[in-house]
Amino acid sequence: MNLFREIWQSIVRRDPLSTDKGKSELVFLNVWLHIHPAKVKKENMKFRHSFYLGFITFFLFLILVTTGIVLMVYYRPFPPQAYQDMKDLEFVVFMGPFLRGMHRWAAHGMVVCVFLHMCRVFYTGSYKKPRQFNWVVGVFLFLLTLGLSFTGYLLPWDQLAYWAITVGSNIGSYAPLVGGQLREWLLGGHSVGEAALVRFYVLHVAVLPAAMILFTIVHFWRVRKDGGLSRPIWKLAPPKAAPLVTIGAPAASAAPLKASAASSTKTYGLMEVVTGKPIFETITPEEEEDTVFSYPYAFVREAVALMVTVTGIMMMSLFFHAPLEELANPAKTPNPAKAPWYFLGLQELVSHSAMLGGVVAPALMVLALLAIPYIDRNPSRRPSDRKWAIWLFTLFVVINLVLIVVGTFFRGPGWALVPPWVHVVGGAE
Amino acid sequence: MNRRSFFKLSWGTVGVGALVSALGVSFAAILRFLKPNVFYEPPQAFKIGTPGDFPFGAPTFLVEEKIFIFRDREKGFSAASAVCTHLGCTVAHFQSDQKFHCPCHGSVFGADGAAQHGPAPRALDWFEVTLARDGQLRVDKDKVVPSSYRLMV
Ligand code: HEM
Ligand code: FES
Repeated sequence: MNLFREIWQSIVRRDPLSTDKGKSELVFLNVWLHIHPAKVKKENMKFRHSFYLGFITFFLFLILVTTGIVLMVYYRPFPPQAYQDMKDLEFVVFMGPFLRGMHRWAAHGMVVCVFLHMCRVFYTGSYKKPRQFNWVVGVFLFLLTLGLSFTGYLLPWDQLAYWAITVGSNIGSYAPLVGGQLREWLLGGHSVGEAALVRFYVLHVAVLPAAMILFTIVHFWRVRKDGGLSRPIWKLAPPKAAPLVTIGAPAASAAPLKASAASSTKTYGLMEVVTGKPIFETITPEEEEDTVFSYPYAFVREAVALMVTVTGIMMMSLFFHAPLEELANPAKTPNPAKAPWYFLGLQELVSHSAMLGGVVAPALMVLALLAIPYIDRNPSRRPSDRKWAIWLFTLFVVINLVLIVVGTFFRGPGWALVPPWVHVVGGAE
Repeated sequence: MNRRSFFKLSWGTVGVGALVSALGVSFAAILRFLKPNVFYEPPQAFKIGTPGDFPFGAPTFLVEEKIFIFRDREKGFSAASAVCTHLGCTVAHFQSDQKFHCPCHGSVFGADGAAQHGPAPRALDWFEVTLARDGQLRVDKDKVVPSSYRLMV
């Protein structure tokens, strides 16, 4: 019995969780948990503050990595085997449709959640000082999410995949100067073919996930180093004028610090003394009282979010199958041919002008997103102080949604405007 | 600036310069590596069969090559690209109005290939058709010709 205890102790090395010391040590002696603070502000754990959207996005990513690795075992990235492997997954592999479904729905869910998370961060004004750079990291995470979805879309090598990627990659060739090169470089050829499939596969299973993991690490580190989640400070009780405690050398004129004997029951360690103000948001001693230990409060909430996410995606996959059309046929364009739904807003713009809609508008959109924290100089996070910012961002969200809805539901054969309740038989010829 | 800080600065510059150029060259090499030297794609010029294989009137669509072959009683042979100039979907030729229609974003091209409607920025390409020594028709997609081009046989 003692041996087991010793083994266990050698792994966790912390005091029992019934003690405050144990609760803290659980967090900071564990490499996976120590991204959390030992204590969190109650305010930050409220569901209504973050809707846990960042967590949910991350959990969806975990589902994608897990199911993706299993799918890789049955997938060969060459046409037409790629398509046969999809058929195998649908009809032969144990729980194949369920696995495909999980991967597909988690991917769609991730695009939705990352966008909602971005909206939440914007509306709470959480991109403001000191979090400007984490917003920028976030924009890259958003682009990586889209990139992963887009590269994954080609892999089934069915009609849907083939034409979505043909249209999507042709948009890139309108980019001035580098456009043609860019397309050749991405596709490894002049049209979507074998070389393109291998390239997309490598991007999808190696390059982009690796980039995603690196950026996610920076993102989480920054959330922590920026002082945790932003809080609606205006709702909190104003801090009492607490006497300022300065750590560091006393001024030359002041009396020297009085030395007192060190306690023999405590262990002291001096890490480093530096002067200057911290860049992150600090909390006052009163606010300190408003915190609880991460264990169990924060961890339980995160575990619940994880369970809800996994269960939700599992339920989806039980009831809905990931679509699979017929084998890709370069000669026959389906009518209408549509890009993945999150790019349909773009395709809608592209249906008016490829250069403006496919290159200029998205480039401006990304630049604007990146620049938000540096353009918006208003330091207040309080909604009533930032009506303009909120209006503009809402406009941006609504325009995107409208374009996507029009592209998805209101475009029929030949990209003609057809409301969804009209049923077109066969299309023209 | 004294001697010591001068050396410090110049060695620093040399060091950083060497590192940056080494990284730059490696990165450029990777980019170049990703650009294929040979494309294993179908050749741009190919034979399509003898003139007798093609009917008059409605164009023949060659699936692999993505071209329409027109044969006109008075004027002869011509070859039109089936690749939409907007974003590369394959256009269809409608007998009803003698026009090319693109299913992706609704571009319409006239009988001569000119962009008439929709987002397509320019006309469909027409390719040179020649008669090879062995009596077969030969299309060269690298040679774009005006829409009035015809091969009389
Ligand atoms: C793969 C994508 C992403 C993941 C996994 C992710 C994850 C997270 C997590 C777990 C948090 C902590 C709390 C929360 O749930 O809100 C967070 C906070 C934050 N995220 Fe993200 N995020 C992603 C994308 C983005 C994007 C697209 C943006 C903005 C453009 C962004 C900006 C921020 C900022 C500024 C914070 C701090 C918020 C605050 O202090 O209130 N993130 N993120
Ligand atoms: S690809 Fe033909 S109209 Fe867009």
